[in-house]
Amino acid sequence: MTSSELMKVEFEAPSPILSKSSSSIHNAANSVSQSALSFYVDRKAADSEVNGNYQSMESDKNHLEERMRDTLHLLPNGLLPQENQAKLHQAKPHSVHFTDQNNIAKICDHVSPSLLERSLSYSAVEQTNSSELLHVTDQTTVNQTNPDQSDSMIQDDGLVEEGVDVAMATDIEYCVNGGENVEGVGMDVVSMETNKTDKLDPKSLQLNLHHVGKNVHISTCDSKSAKERSQMLKKTKVPPPRQSWLLRLFESKLFDMSIAISYLFNSKEPGVQSYLGNRLFSFRDEEIDLYLPQIVNMYIQMHDVAEAIHPYIVHRCRYSIEFSIHTAWLLGAYSADVLKPTWKNSQGIKLKNLILNEELRPPPPKHLKSDSTLPSPTYPKHIQSVEVTAPTSPTGSKKTHIRSRSDATGIYLKHSESQPALLNAINVMGDLTTGRAFDNGCTCHTSSEAMFNNLTGRETLCSCEAPRLMPELEFVKSLMSIGIRLQLLPTKELRTSRLIAELAMLNLNLPARVWLPISDKGIHHIVRIPHTQAVVLNSKEKAPYLLYVEVLECENAASSQVPSKILENTLRFTRSEEDLSGHYCNRGNGSPRGEFSVYGNSTDFDDADCWSQEDDEIIQFALKCRPSDTISQMSTESSTSADSKEPVYIAAGDIRRRLSENITAPKGKFERDPDDPSAAALKEPWEEKVRRIRESSPYGHMPNWRLMSVIVKCGDDLRQELLVYQVLKQLQSIWRQEHVPLWIFPYKIIVTSNNSGMIEPVLNAISLHQIKKHSKMTLRDYFIHEFGPPTSEEFLTAQRNFVQSCAGYCLVCYLMQVKDRHNGNILLDANGHIIHIDFGFILSNSPGKNLGFENSAFKLTHEFAEVMDGLGSDMFEYFKILMLQGLVASRKHMDKILPLVEIMQTGSQLPCFSKGVSTIRSLKERFHLNLTEEQLQLLVDNMVESSLHSLTTKLYDGFQYYTNGIL
Amino acid sequence: MSNEASGGIKEKTHVILLRKGSNSRMALKEKIVQIYEAFFQGEDPSRGNANFWDELFLLKVNTQFIEAEIEKLSGEGLLNLKENFNLLFYKAVESLNQENPIRIINALQTLCALIRGIFRKSTGNYGFDIINLLIGFDAADSVMQNLVESINHFLTGDFPCSLKQFSLKFLLVLITATDNISQNTMLEYIMNNSVFESLILNLGNQLFRLQLGHDAVLVLTMLVQYRKYESANPYIVKLSILDDELALTGYAQVVSLLLSDFNRDYQTQTNEQQSGWFSSLANMVGNMFVPEEKKIESVKANDLILLSLYEAIHLNRNFITALTHSHTPSTATTPPSSPVLSKPPALDLQVTENGNGDESTATQPTNLLVTFLEYSSIVMQDTKDTVRHNNAKLCLIILTCIAEDQYANSLMHDVNMTFRVPLHRMPMRHRKVKVEKYLTSRPLVASLLDLMVEFTMSHMMKLFPMELYLRSLGIIHRVLCYQKKCRVRLQYPWKELWTALINLLKFVMSHETALIKKHDIFILSSKVVNVFNLFVTYGDTFLPNPNSYDELYYEIIRMHQVFDNLYSMALRYTTTEGEYKDSAARLTNNLVNVRAIINHFTPKVDSWSAANNLSSLTEDQVLEVVRSNYDTLTLKLQDNLDQFERYSEKPKETPFFTQLVRSINCDVKKSVSNLSAQHHDMLMELSHVS
Repeated sequence: MTSSELMKVEFEAPSPILSKSSSSIHNAANSVSQSALSFYVDRKAADSEVNGNYQSMESDKNHLEERMRDTLHLLPNGLLPQENQAKLHQAKPHSVHFTDQNNIAKICDHVSPSLLERSLSYSAVEQTNSSELLHVTDQTTVNQTNPDQSDSMIQDDGLVEEGVDVAMATDIEYCVNGGENVEGVGMDVVSMETNKTDKLDPKSLQLNLHHVGKNVHISTCDSKSAKERSQMLKKTKVPPPRQSWLLRLFESKLFDMSIAISYLFNSKEPGVQSYLGNRLFSFRDEEIDLYLPQIVNMYIQMHDVAEAIHPYIVHRCRYSIEFSIHTAWLLGAYSADVLKPTWKNSQGIKLKNLILNEELRPPPPKHLKSDSTLPSPTYPKHIQSVEVTAPTSPTGSKKTHIRSRSDATGIYLKHSESQPALLNAINVMGDLTTGRAFDNGCTCHTSSEAMFNNLTGRETLCSCEAPRLMPELEFVKSLMSIGIRLQLLPTKELRTSRLIAELAMLNLNLPARVWLPISDKGIHHIVRIPHTQAVVLNSKEKAPYLLYVEVLECENAASSQVPSKILENTLRFTRSEEDLSGHYCNRGNGSPRGEFSVYGNSTDFDDADCWSQEDDEIIQFALKCRPSDTISQMSTESSTSADSKEPVYIAAGDIRRRLSENITAPKGKFERDPDDPSAAALKEPWEEKVRRIRESSPYGHMPNWRLMSVIVKCGDDLRQELLVYQVLKQLQSIWRQEHVPLWIFPYKIIVTSNNSGMIEPVLNAISLHQIKKHSKMTLRDYFIHEFGPPTSEEFLTAQRNFVQSCAGYCLVCYLMQVKDRHNGNILLDANGHIIHIDFGFILSNSPGKNLGFENSAFKLTHEFAEVMDGLGSDMFEYFKILMLQGLVASRKHMDKILPLVEIMQTGSQLPCFSKGVSTIRSLKERFHLNLTEEQLQLLVDNMVESSLHSLTTKLYDGFQYYTNGIL
Repeated sequence: MSNEASGGIKEKTHVILLRKGSNSRMALKEKIVQIYEAFFQGEDPSRGNANFWDELFLLKVNTQFIEAEIEKLSGEGLLNLKENFNLLFYKAVESLNQENPIRIINALQTLCALIRGIFRKSTGNYGFDIINLLIGFDAADSVMQNLVESINHFLTGDFPCSLKQFSLKFLLVLITATDNISQNTMLEYIMNNSVFESLILNLGNQLFRLQLGHDAVLVLTMLVQYRKYESANPYIVKLSILDDELALTGYAQVVSLLLSDFNRDYQTQTNEQQSGWFSSLANMVGNMFVPEEKKIESVKANDLILLSLYEAIHLNRNFITALTHSHTPSTATTPPSSPVLSKPPALDLQVTENGNGDESTATQPTNLLVTFLEYSSIVMQDTKDTVRHNNAKLCLIILTCIAEDQYANSLMHDVNMTFRVPLHRMPMRHRKVKVEKYLTSRPLVASLLDLMVEFTMSHMMKLFPMELYLRSLGIIHRVLCYQKKCRVRLQYPWKELWTALINLLKFVMSHETALIKKHDIFILSSKVVNVFNLFVTYGDTFLPNPNSYDELYYEIIRMHQVFDNLYSMALRYTTTEGEYKDSAARLTNNLVNVRAIINHFTPKVDSWSAANNLSSLTEDQVLEVVRSNYDTLTLKLQDNLDQFERYSEKPKETPFFTQLVRSINCDVKKSVSNLSAQHHDMLMELSHVS
């Protein structure tokens, strides 16, 4: 009996049920599609896994069969056709006990049997010919009469098509869902299945389907359990014994992105690579995004890894504009070092072009097949086909609202009408003078349908062919080109005024569907740039600048409506508008001749109406935020209101006193200095700045208004900064995990090319140089000035913050060999934390042609020690203890840090890797794996000691003072 | 004009056989002229020729002939030809709907000629209705509606730029048909059928702005003037609520471009003068006659653009943003202009000049307000001439509007928005012109105050520009009120302002007898004193530091004699019954605090110097005395120091603006009186295109 015969036989019996259930699926469209999807993804994972492992397994066929049998034993008896279905009544999925000796089974004693069975069955399907046993499995599967399952089976094998609505199957497949849901649903499907086989009642099936739908939503929240399940799910997948230790690791709770990344990097085994490539789908987007630079670099440099992760990247790009853009930027930046693109390493460029040519879009409704023409740069045919037939893969867990298909087609038809407008739009893209530079001409979101969706809380997907990435790309491009133009100007003053002018120009094109890439999640639209607030930062040749951006938060930057433009002086629309409406009324009727008299009638019109000075609200604003403490202030009110002729007298001395009080009152800010405009801008407390800008902004009244800031750098390579950001982020989480109270601030970096990018500004912080220059005090005095006397609560808090951050950064500086530590690169924030910035010189690279100017382990001056109450003080000891604890903790988790650096070293021309492989070796050595804790303590003491007395630190500061005027 | 002139369309003329039986007599006449003659003889040449009109408008129009013929007609003759005029007008408007741009241009040209000719007749008060004569009452509504629709179509549609430009010229011809724009009844149709949107569209478009911007702004400004005091002019309303930022910016740029042209001309002129000893001498001689002439000419031409600026600022609240919207002179992102457009040579020149103008300012971003302040500084140098006086007055009115606007003030006081404003100063006997090579970048308000100080210092002359002084003081007052209200502490050398004001008082008193005959000097003095009062009583809210408050006292004490004399002069007039009794009394009242300061500190200073055996005290010593004696001084709080009368055009300034508009109207009329040269170019161009 061949498998196909068997299948046929088995199918005849349940087919009526199948058709019934298919109709019920139509009823519960959403939930079913999700379950179908979950199933689908499962299958896909299994498919590729089997593919990957096929060769290795083939070599050991007997063994494989054995394993199969083993695993089959795990299945509850009831599911086997030989046993009667009656037994199914007892077979409760959650209480199934496995009689097996297998490790996996022990861990997952509450795993759903059918899940196990299912994934198995697929591997089985793939290898139908190889094993007799598989026939059995096949039967089992069909017996389940699970509609979606059998659907996919049919598709897969192309064996049977009767009784199943294939169109429906595609329909279901079409829907997209979050990866997490998938596993969760899997569970529920299982319970449903058991019920179903039990009763075979279409009605209850329908109910179950609804139940599943609900569960989907619940399970999204419960990501942890979903993940657990997913792990269990994976455990059942054909583990070849040779790799079992590895698989055990991969399937253990410890398995995370950092392990996945390092194995992806280290393993040369195609099976492992493709397994990991598929595992990427099971991680949360955020987890992946943290390692995006590594992923991208591997994609560029390692052909085999590129193949394994290509489906994942393509999939993410399809559904996330933001991901597409970031990936394209990184691909561009890291491909820059690839000197001669060959077939082996050209895939990075190809993918970048693929993204930038907007070829990766969510597949349009109904036109499923049109996608298959998509070029895949490196893929052999079979993998490609997997990718193509998989338009429905999980994306962000938030996308629970899916537009029904009828909506989508409606817009799709409309789109032809908007074609000419669209062409026009592309012409103006990027031209700032048009006011529509960031408008891609997409009208999907302004259509009445979109309005309706907006009201009903549904998401509107863009279905026109408008370039999706263009607005954001153009926006960032114009920011960068401003930076380039600024570089040509000689003085800071010229640069500042030019910057303001350029930004004002940019402003004309806002609001637009653009967002600040530096923000955690681009869920906002930029509505305005308060251009006068932007400042040029201190830099000689390059002209980095800091700008503030007003945004309105929204549900989804890609699909929410872009807020409409509000002019600067919002308070200025007043009566004249009413006038006009009246005027239009007049115009509307009557003959033109009659209108001669119409004008005559309204002679009471006077120009005061057009320009009435009702706009004193601006003044009211200004007054509100200042205490009206002075007599002169009060007297104006009294003098204007009261008619009393009683003369009011004031003392001249009072006026003078108020004036001097006002001037000397601590304002928490520096005076504006044209040579250093950033000092004043950065000193102003963030909250105060937000309030000030909000008040003056026409959008300020909106509840979802936010202020953001960003540093735009161009002409600088930020790839090292990005690496340090990743390391810092990792260290931060390690220290948090180990409860070591070290403080560091990883500021976000966006690399847009190999010589431009954006930096997240550190709020409420100015450099030590600026402090010294503007306050003319020592650091300790400044602390006292800012936070109060050394015994005060505020001072002590600030001091503790200082110590914790100082220890944190000393460790960072030591481990990463951060150099160029002059006071312009060390910030102090409003809470007393220090923050190191500018990681242009790290690892093998230091200023002055690696002459070793700064040969101490880190920068620790006496001035710092002074803030810690001096050498030998309690705080200073605390500082050393912190450093030791931090070092121990980071040593423990060294494996999370090293791969980050190591992967980026591959094929890199970055100066920090100038010493090649030894860079990584010395980094590893700095963790001192061989030292005991006592020895480590000694090491820390020594380092602190030598840093304090380092001559070179002083020399370097002196050098910076003389060459760059940095104090 | 020979047949050659018709150039590209010549070959078409031979097809047309229009005229009946006059071939032999007028062999040398243009074909078109022959047709015109038929018209003026009351015939209808179109009768019996179905293609007549299509063909007529392919012929080159001879506007002079039409206008001359109309000129020749008597009132009665005109009325007799009404039917023909109506027909011609009607057909011309009708052919605007056609595709052929040559036909359209010719039709427009014909309309221009008709309008100009017939309106010219109407100035002689013939007592007939122009509309009736031109279009005919019955058809007027629909014909004019068609006309305006066509023009809107040309302005907004995909047409050659020259056609758009000519449409604007036509509008200008129509608008300036009468000397008094408000009497132009034809404009009612433009009021009813708005061209506003089309104009705005062109202003917002960067490509068209370069070539059409000027005319568009002109048309708009002139339309706003139509019966602005009597009726609800829809253009006023629409301009006042215009919120298209791009269009407003475009508007501002057009104004800015023209003003900066003027500034540059002036700059080159003065540079030439300074270039050498000999040339300066030669220039001095030359200046007596020629350049003065030239200057006035160029200033006069700028009346119109100033009026445009005024209307925008006065009417539109959003324009302030555009006013301070900084832009870089060299537009790096200029897209390549479309190949269809050929720039008129004049504008082309402007653009290139602007591009590679003086390098010093090339990279410095500027804005309209900066340009305008510079322009004002030039214009205000010389106010003797009435035209320039009026120009300066308009500048000051605009500045008053700006200084009154809270938003404009907030922008001008923004320390982050600094500009270098090249203010020009007049060379005077007692001071050298300081050529400030390096200007510091400051908030705009500092430049505004500088300008006012400069004005105050440079106009103490026999022909005392009282009105301008009052306005200038008003501007200072408004700025101070804003600072006081919003507590802006401007880093400004206030001492210069105080000195200038005290000097002004000194001048007024020394020329009391001459001035009192013409002006109420007490109002002026009161305004000056009130500025001091603002400083004295509210200095704590806006002075940059305590020392400046001390310096204020020091200045008052130092110049106490001026205030003493002022007081006694005012007293004099209060005791004698006269015209100025009330204002003089008010002045004495206003002086109370200043006198209190003087009376309080002078004895203290004297006794201090006596105690220290010093005959004269240094500034520091006086300041020391001042500082130590504040506490015993009580000041009276005066009412309404920070109140000012809002600027309002309607009752007060109406005559000024009516007059201004009338003269501008004449200028514009002159500029569009002969379009035939342009017409020719256009035909050539269009024949290439089509």
